Amino acid sequence: MADFESVDFLRERHVRFFQRCLYVLPERYAPYETSRLTIAFFSLSGLDVLGALDVVDRHSLIEWIYSLQILPTADQSNLQRCGFRGSSHIGVPYSSSKGPGAPHPYDSGHVTMTYTGLACLLILGDDLGRVDRAACVSGLRALQLEDGSFYAVPEGSENDMRFVYCAACICFMLDDWSGMDRQKTIDYIRRSTSFDFGIGQGAGLESHGGSTFCAVASLCMMGKLREVFSERELGRLRRWCVLRQQNGFQGRPNKPVDTCYSFWVGATLQLLDVFQYTNFEKNRNYILSTQDRLVGGFAKWPDSHPDPLHTYFGICGLSLMGEAGLQPVHAALNISLRASDSLRRLHECWRRSRT
Amino acid sequence: MHGRVKVKTTAQQEEEKRKEREKKLKAFVCARDSVLKKRSAGEHDEEALDLTQQLLSSNPDFATLWNYRREVLLHLETLREKDEVQKLYESELHFIEACLKVNPKSYGCWHHRSWVNTRLPQPDWTRELGLCDRCLSLDERNFHCWDYRRLVVKESGVSVEQELQFTDRLIGSNFSNYSSWHYRSTLLPQLRPQPVLDSAHNTSPSPSASPQSHSHRVCEEQLLKEYELAHNAFFTDPNDQSAWFYYRWLLGRAEREEMISCVYVSREGERVSVAFSKPVHAGSVGLMLVLDGQPQQVQWRNAHPRLRHSPVWLCDLPAGSISDTSNEHNLTIHWTDKHTHRDCALYTGCAESWCRDSATDQELFRSELSVEKSSVLQAELQSCNQLLDLEPQNKWCLLTIILLMRALDPLGHEKETLTHFQTLKEVDAMRSSYYSDLCSKFLIENTILKMEYAEVRVFSLSNKKLTTLCHLDQLLLVTHINLSSNQLQHLPPQFSMLQCLEVLEADDNAIESLEGLYHLPKLEEVSLKNNKICKVSDLETLATCTKLTRLDLRGNPVHKTDDLESELSLILPLVTALSL
Repeated sequence: MADFESVDFLRERHVRFFQRCLYVLPERYAPYETSRLTIAFFSLSGLDVLGALDVVDRHSLIEWIYSLQILPTADQSNLQRCGFRGSSHIGVPYSSSKGPGAPHPYDSGHVTMTYTGLACLLILGDDLGRVDRAACVSGLRALQLEDGSFYAVPEGSENDMRFVYCAACICFMLDDWSGMDRQKTIDYIRRSTSFDFGIGQGAGLESHGGSTFCAVASLCMMGKLREVFSERELGRLRRWCVLRQQNGFQGRPNKPVDTCYSFWVGATLQLLDVFQYTNFEKNRNYILSTQDRLVGGFAKWPDSHPDPLHTYFGICGLSLMGEAGLQPVHAALNISLRASDSLRRLHECWRRSRT
Repeated sequence: MHGRVKVKTTAQQEEEKRKEREKKLKAFVCARDSVLKKRSAGEHDEEALDLTQQLLSSNPDFATLWNYRREVLLHLETLREKDEVQKLYESELHFIEACLKVNPKSYGCWHHRSWVNTRLPQPDWTRELGLCDRCLSLDERNFHCWDYRRLVVKESGVSVEQELQFTDRLIGSNFSNYSSWHYRSTLLPQLRPQPVLDSAHNTSPSPSASPQSHSHRVCEEQLLKEYELAHNAFFTDPNDQSAWFYYRWLLGRAEREEMISCVYVSREGERVSVAFSKPVHAGSVGLMLVLDGQPQQVQWRNAHPRLRHSPVWLCDLPAGSISDTSNEHNLTIHWTDKHTHRDCALYTGCAESWCRDSATDQELFRSELSVEKSSVLQAELQSCNQLLDLEPQNKWCLLTIILLMRALDPLGHEKETLTHFQTLKEVDAMRSSYYSDLCSKFLIENTILKMEYAEVRVFSLSNKKLTTLCHLDQLLLVTHINLSSNQLQHLPPQFSMLQCLEVLEADDNAIESLEGLYHLPKLEEVSLKNNKICKVSDLETLATCTKLTRLDLRGNPVHKTDDLESELSLILPLVTALSL
């Protein structure tokens, strides 16, 4: 009996964990105020994969997300700053995208928030009807640098593969790649491949499971994976990724394993068609060893505090292996297949109305 | 989000903590509101610096605040003398260092520090290098720090040699310093880059060059020194992967030249099949077909609609242009983008013709490694074998030996390679299915080499535990293929590249999908006994193979279909010999 308990997946606890994240966050999350929308994404997408979206108040969440959209002002002077904010921290008056944008000198979108905002809306079943798609694309265009990578905000910030991924997701969801010079992005990705054939955050940087996922998933969403990498290069990538498994997965050679890499590296292997060659039992056992049996959720390591990010990626990591009771996940876009199917239908609708 | 270990507390401790948190929260909200108010009011002053400092100390990823702080600093610059500006930014550096102590992996902090150094009238790069050294001694894998270090090195003109010595020290004290090996891989090519030549004989590297391409390789002399460094590392600790990855990179080599690898012409179909050394889009690479000196207007198509980007392309010649066997014809395919071409002569009395570089000539399966210096590779193989004697269970050693043997003599070392694969699957059982897949690939490669050596067009790989097919673009000329008794599940779209295939035997597999049996113009006989074909619709693609007359489907689940024979005669009317 003890053995079975130690490896069972405590679905109900995780549902409650995410519910709590959606309503109240403990004080130690204060630094994440500006990224609040990402926490909402982990929770909502997590509940979706758990098949438990019925516990959320979809309507008020959709309104809240729309209140984070930075719309063009009446004079259209802020088009390069459009997108979504992480939260209301900047102090703009509440408006759930029901009128032109309120002018504010320091209010601008953040590429990760635009990505997670759009994803959350899709997950909640919204048809993106109040999203100003053209404005989001303008905002995105303003973030791309000469070297092909992206800033997070138009005022400038660090630039690396994480934001390349966010940009690709936005283009993919909006079915509009005009916000990204794809060739430049492809060049950036190629320059970020390292001597051991993994991919780093940027040129000259160490291969890393997270940036490797970001690069490969972005290329898949562009439909160009096999154009950009030769079969031999893909073979080397597969090898680098396969060698990250120790029981769970590590993010880099000689680093400890961490639950979230079961998704980052697992999904990459899935996109490279070799995930079925990994050892599912060891991977699953590791993820479940980081499960918090009391409060629910998953942590990066056993006997550590769970957090929304690791809980979400732990669940997605299990979903990749076909864990019973979990929805399948779109390996590149990182939302449930159910949500990506409704995205596809939305695209068909948009295309029909264009012709 | 960083791992925090659980700690038990008493009720009283909990209450004290709660009160403290409330206090902190109040202070935070107050400060934040003041900052934003000030910024809206355009106030760029000392107080703004104080307020943002308070907030950023606990919340270093608040990007807007860093941006505001930068605005304030820029404004203050305009009001101060040069030496005061120096002091202003130096104290800024102290502040950032304090933030880094709290969170050494904050993107915002490192980014801000780079910015500060661009504003300092007199940057102190020695101090910055010192900061990097200290940070790395605490966490040698902190890639933010490594990235910052590269910037410092670039701005301050620290020589590549000095940085190499730095990596020497780090690697010397701890062979398992992956970041140092990585850094070394980026420094080495800068030291003594190999001269770059591409097929157009330009000397500038292409903008999309990756670290594996020519412009990032190391010259041979330095290479030998590096081999020694790697040997020292993996002989000392054979289980640490850093040195093995580095070693593999050292042994590696650029991608082979792009070319047309095969042209095949058939009189009967008046069809030309072209195989390229890499997948292309025929429409966009400047392909030109010249027949007997006359350029021809042809439509290039791929072998299967799902293969938009493919190594094999087909076209049809104008009717009657080559059908008369009493005529000799000369065909040339020009790949104008790559300044290369291939000729093919179709002689009198011959129904078909081809021109091809063998896989051996193309160094197809050997070009992973530098073949010009096979003496060096031989020496490396010896070293690795010595290590294997001491450490027979070491997976890195086994993998490297397999790689070296394939580079030197894939057919000669076949037996040993298979034995090593078996050992690998035992010592690294977690990855045994991956190794099986790799082994399947190597067996396919060896079979292609044997086929060419024997100068036959028959490809036989039965009973080899094959799970996937690959290198199908190398099988353009094959007439007979035997894949029986394996573990294949599909005949993928790439299978349609086997344009000369006449007989397919694939009994005793787990095949469900026949997508790749699509418009194979010469296919006459297909045997698929004991597979997993379930629905009649799975067989519809066979109707595109107009010469197909013999089909064996015994032992497939499709038997459960009612009226199977009549359904099949409807969709495959040309099949006369059907075995069910």
